[in-house]
Amino acid sequence: MTSRKRVLLAKMGLDCHDTGIATVAQMMRENGYEVIYMGLHNYADEVVNTAIAEDVDLIGVSFLSGQHETQTRELLDAMKQAELNVPVMCGGIIPPDDAQALKQMGVADVIEPGTLTPDLMTRVSAILS
Amino acid sequence: MADKATAIPAWKAKEEQLFETGAGLEIKELYTPDDIQGFDYNRDLGVPGEYPFTRGPYPGMYRERIWTRRFQVGFGTPQETSERIRYLAETGANGFVITIDLPTSYGFDSDDPISRGEVGVTGVAISTLEDMETLYEHTSPDSVSYALSIRPPVSAVTLAMLCCVAEKRGVSLDRVVGTQQNDPFYQMSGGPLQTHTQFFPLDGILRLTIDNIEHISTRMPRLNWMVTNGYNLRETGTDAIQDGAFSLAHAFDIFRMCSERGLDVNVFARRASFFLSCSIDFFEEIAKYRALRRLYAKTMRERFAATNPECWRMRFSVQSGGNTLTTQQPQINIIRAAMECLAAVFGGAQSVHLSSYDEGLGLPTEESSRINLRTQQVIAYETGVTKTVDPLGGSYYLENLTNRMEVAIADKMAEVEEHGGLAECVRTGWLERQINEARYKNQRDIDSNRRPLIGVNRYRISPEDEIPIKIHKIKASEWGERRADYLRRYREGRDQTAWADAMARIDRAWKEGANMVPVIMDALRNKVTMGECHEAMRQAQGFSFRKGGR
Repeated sequence: MTSRKRVLLAKMGLDCHDTGIATVAQMMRENGYEVIYMGLHNYADEVVNTAIAEDVDLIGVSFLSGQHETQTRELLDAMKQAELNVPVMCGGIIPPDDAQALKQMGVADVIEPGTLTPDLMTRVSAILS
Repeated sequence: MADKATAIPAWKAKEEQLFETGAGLEIKELYTPDDIQGFDYNRDLGVPGEYPFTRGPYPGMYRERIWTRRFQVGFGTPQETSERIRYLAETGANGFVITIDLPTSYGFDSDDPISRGEVGVTGVAISTLEDMETLYEHTSPDSVSYALSIRPPVSAVTLAMLCCVAEKRGVSLDRVVGTQQNDPFYQMSGGPLQTHTQFFPLDGILRLTIDNIEHISTRMPRLNWMVTNGYNLRETGTDAIQDGAFSLAHAFDIFRMCSERGLDVNVFARRASFFLSCSIDFFEEIAKYRALRRLYAKTMRERFAATNPECWRMRFSVQSGGNTLTTQQPQINIIRAAMECLAAVFGGAQSVHLSSYDEGLGLPTEESSRINLRTQQVIAYETGVTKTVDPLGGSYYLENLTNRMEVAIADKMAEVEEHGGLAECVRTGWLERQINEARYKNQRDIDSNRRPLIGVNRYRISPEDEIPIKIHKIKASEWGERRADYLRRYREGRDQTAWADAMARIDRAWKEGANMVPVIMDALRNKVTMGECHEAMRQAQGFSFRKGGR
């Protein structure tokens, strides 16, 4: 039996630029994923609690306004505390050096603007396999 | 035969092209007088600076005055931003867009727990009257024009701060210049209703929007106020027709609310202005601006019965489309911004601000902001395009496209009206659905190569071949600590009784339905902070968003 992979997407902090994440949510739905999109302004513990309750396979967070480091660290810390072990993917306006730092922190992949949908799907499958 | 066709050498083969505008209007091979049948010069174009303003809002246009080349500034603390403004003013910038950090844009103080990691990151933090005084340390409210990227409810507080600064500096309110951004819906980039209503009730936001307009139009005749931030709306991915329609429909909905408040259209609309995007489809954008000016003039004269010609004249500032830029091969963004700047100039913009080539990689740096200014200066001083008014006016194609854009935008506005006007469309989620559909379409068009995007779906290079660029460095924790320390001292040093009385006056005034701007001015003088003003207004509405002590 094949079950559809479940993905949790969320914006964290005060940043409200949601074009990227709303588009990614839809493209993933169209490619067979079950997407739960939490909307804006979520705290780390809210993301973690939802991820546990919904039993998701992947968490994706997106940033445009420079909060990626602070917020991702909070998310990863909250996950560790809750002993939640699922891959985390970041997306948005993230300088290349910072993307490297995020990966060292434990982020599985950092998706840059201009990623075409087929490439995104390849990268997501790679994370999930 | 088929074999023969494929045998045509590549250099001879026609490249596949789509002959339509970005918004999907068909483009023919050639435009002739047949395409502008019934064209009446005086009725459709007229004299620049006169009804219906198709050729420009002012006579003489750039021959009289080159557009304002705005420089974006704002980071960290007010002190740092103020020093930067002094430097830039000395080196030729004549107007400033002051960006603020996210906590300020939602009305939170720098030391609010919700502000953690965000202080000073996207712009300057403003929490106290003293902060605003610092921003004006080297300039004066009657000489240098600031446009703060802000929206109601917060703009009610920054407007009150501006008035207090003017008062302290002995500048009478009728001499204050600048632009007060006052769009309740589009300022927070992104479409969802959630971004407006998470931290403040929607009805309260609309009330403060009209409070600001009443205050400005009755006391501050030289201060522009921005009715629509069409730029941020366009950035979500909507097309030029939706852009024009939602921008105008929003303005007219706000004007209707002003009339309901009893304000005189011949007074309040005088200094209303727009902030619009310029996207990459060159002629469509020019046609959009010309069509918008004509529609605005007609609607203001006919529907709102304005008799003051100043109220028929649509004025706008332009920012080049951030969402037309790419993260890949960022240097070519400079060319995109230059093309968009040129379209804005042919479209008759009053003020231009270009998006930085590095915006797909980080927040703009000083270097990239300077290139924006230089790009505009090349267009303004070297190319000669400013030397006659509306140089493309009379082109068969442009006039035909202007006419078609006007019809398409008017049709889309009628759709908004059918759904109860723009505020109602925001409330019901209709607008958000329109935005989301546009976003998905954009991605599909880029994925399928229908919309060419150099560096993304064609002419790509490998990441190793990219030329490295300077990236903006963030000092969020350092700024946050300094600001928290400052605010603790500010709160300690105030007269606590006077502060409590001023907070109580906010509560009373809100419940009585008074105009809040003078009430907030009184509070600021008593050292009530930005965050506290908002908290008092939230409490007066019985609204709270805080949970679990944060």
